[in-house]
Amino acid sequence: MSKNKKWYTLDLGLNKKKNTTGSCSCGNISENCTSAKQELSADEFYKAAVNASIGEERHKDGFDQVFDVKMDRRNAFKKLTASLLIGAGAVSTSCSIITGDDTKEKAQINWEEQFKGNYKLMTDEEKQGTIDRLMRSYELQTGKNISMTAENAVANVLFGYAFNISKCQGYMNCVSACVEENNQDRNSQMQYIRIHEMKDGEGFKFDNADDNYYHEVPAEGHFYMGTQCFHCDNPPCVDVCPVQATWKEEDGLVVIDYDWCVGCRYCMAACPYDGRRFNWSKPEVPENEVNKNQHYLGNRMRKKGVMEKCTFCVQRSRKGKNPACVEACPTGARIFGNLLDPNSTIRWVLENKKVFRLKEDLGTEPKFWYFMD
Amino acid sequence: MKNKEITYHLLILLLLILNSCKEKNKYHTITDKIAAESKPYHGELSSDELLADIPLIKITEGKHTFLIPERKGQIQSFACIECHSKPVSQMKGLEKQKAHWNIKMSHANTDVMNCASCHNGKDMNTLHTLTRQPVDFNLSYKLCAQCHSDQFEDWKGGAHGKKVAGWTAPRASMTCVNCHNPHNPSFDKRWPVQFNTQKAVERNETLDH
Repeated sequence: MSKNKKWYTLDLGLNKKKNTTGSCSCGNISENCTSAKQELSADEFYKAAVNASIGEERHKDGFDQVFDVKMDRRNAFKKLTASLLIGAGAVSTSCSIITGDDTKEKAQINWEEQFKGNYKLMTDEEKQGTIDRLMRSYELQTGKNISMTAENAVANVLFGYAFNISKCQGYMNCVSACVEENNQDRNSQMQYIRIHEMKDGEGFKFDNADDNYYHEVPAEGHFYMGTQCFHCDNPPCVDVCPVQATWKEEDGLVVIDYDWCVGCRYCMAACPYDGRRFNWSKPEVPENEVNKNQHYLGNRMRKKGVMEKCTFCVQRSRKGKNPACVEACPTGARIFGNLLDPNSTIRWVLENKKVFRLKEDLGTEPKFWYFMD
Repeated sequence: MKNKEITYHLLILLLLILNSCKEKNKYHTITDKIAAESKPYHGELSSDELLADIPLIKITEGKHTFLIPERKGQIQSFACIECHSKPVSQMKGLEKQKAHWNIKMSHANTDVMNCASCHNGKDMNTLHTLTRQPVDFNLSYKLCAQCHSDQFEDWKGGAHGKKVAGWTAPRASMTCVNCHNPHNPSFDKRWPVQFNTQKAVERNETLDH
């Protein structure tokens, strides 16, 4: 019957007993026990000796070398105690009666944040859960409150942007508004927007353009154009991400889950527009300058070793506001709106002005158009 | 039995084919997508709340209807007739401190424009057009549009000028005088609001290597 079994059962040595019913311990009933013993040659003895000492370890690999070893009871207890101590240390902060409630809560939040899933796959409740934890975590760390939201993309909205290169005068109000709005690292002076000063009559020559000028603007014989993340409809940065930490939302925004990003910077290499930025150090913003109106996918505080970029101010645009750069621009060179709404001003620009996009031939389909008066 | 198996395999094949037509490739270009999915937005988002505290007036120009900020309330010394009780010609000779000494005209040249090109000497509370039609101070864009017709077209459509608040309806656009000083309409040269010293340092370092 046991031969017909299609599954394996744990052999606890109970079946062997049937064979040991004979008088001899070697299990041989028919012959004399002593006759089974044979003389060993010198070679065979050597092999047997080696087998007895390290034999099993030769065939073991990886974990088995550590876990599947013969040990006596005393050693086993020693090792068990050591590992228990390590394990206990890890949970002691959350279970200890000595540490304060805050520390416990912090450990609990850290634990849950560590093992949460990809934002893209979260249900609305899970999204609410994680932003609640992040807000509480900030409160525990700094004693101050922030408001973080996780609005999803609104239906029938596709965000688009138009930039008037005849109007931009290079004042860079957009750049500083962006830094303040999006809590970018002050130490490394990270900026999402670059304003390029280009010579009149030479066209777009990024090699000869200056994106870090400091003189009175507009300079004679120059024009200005800004670049940032273009929120491509066919974004190459999304395709190359090995962990799907960046993706395109329904409203066209290309966003990053900072907690899922592993910092490989493939996206940075894939972007043909230099739209992405990397945190080489821990981003720091003075407490009184932190913008406390945050979105999970937008301007919440980042950590060291993750990518970030322009999100068309998702924390603002999904509430119906314009991005900070659009609001700050003193010349009205920046137009933002819903591409799907035929009554929107951005649609009027696309339909009535001569528009073009940067590196259109790459097929990235940026949702960021340039136009002239 | 065999028939069942064949239909089963066919079904799987069909599913695979259907699955391979990904949403991503639904449209070839973004313009196709815009053309196909375009429809007026009447969703949950609106600018009403953002515009609640701003006095606005509704205007209709051509086929565009939108809001612009009310102006008269923003002019410090409105109403003008509080001082201009007499016609300007009679006030000229008065031995008093000049009221508008700080206004320097830098808008076209004096052959083309002077105060009276826009200000209505007969009724100081209003402006007037080139053909002496009175225009309310709230609708001053009508005066600008007399010469700057291209800018006017762009402004109506939304390519020139800024929005008052958000991108959603109702549309509220800044009017000409919210950004341009009508007496000196061009923008001055000035220094950029910031300079990235870190970028400058990093680029210098790279040059040294």
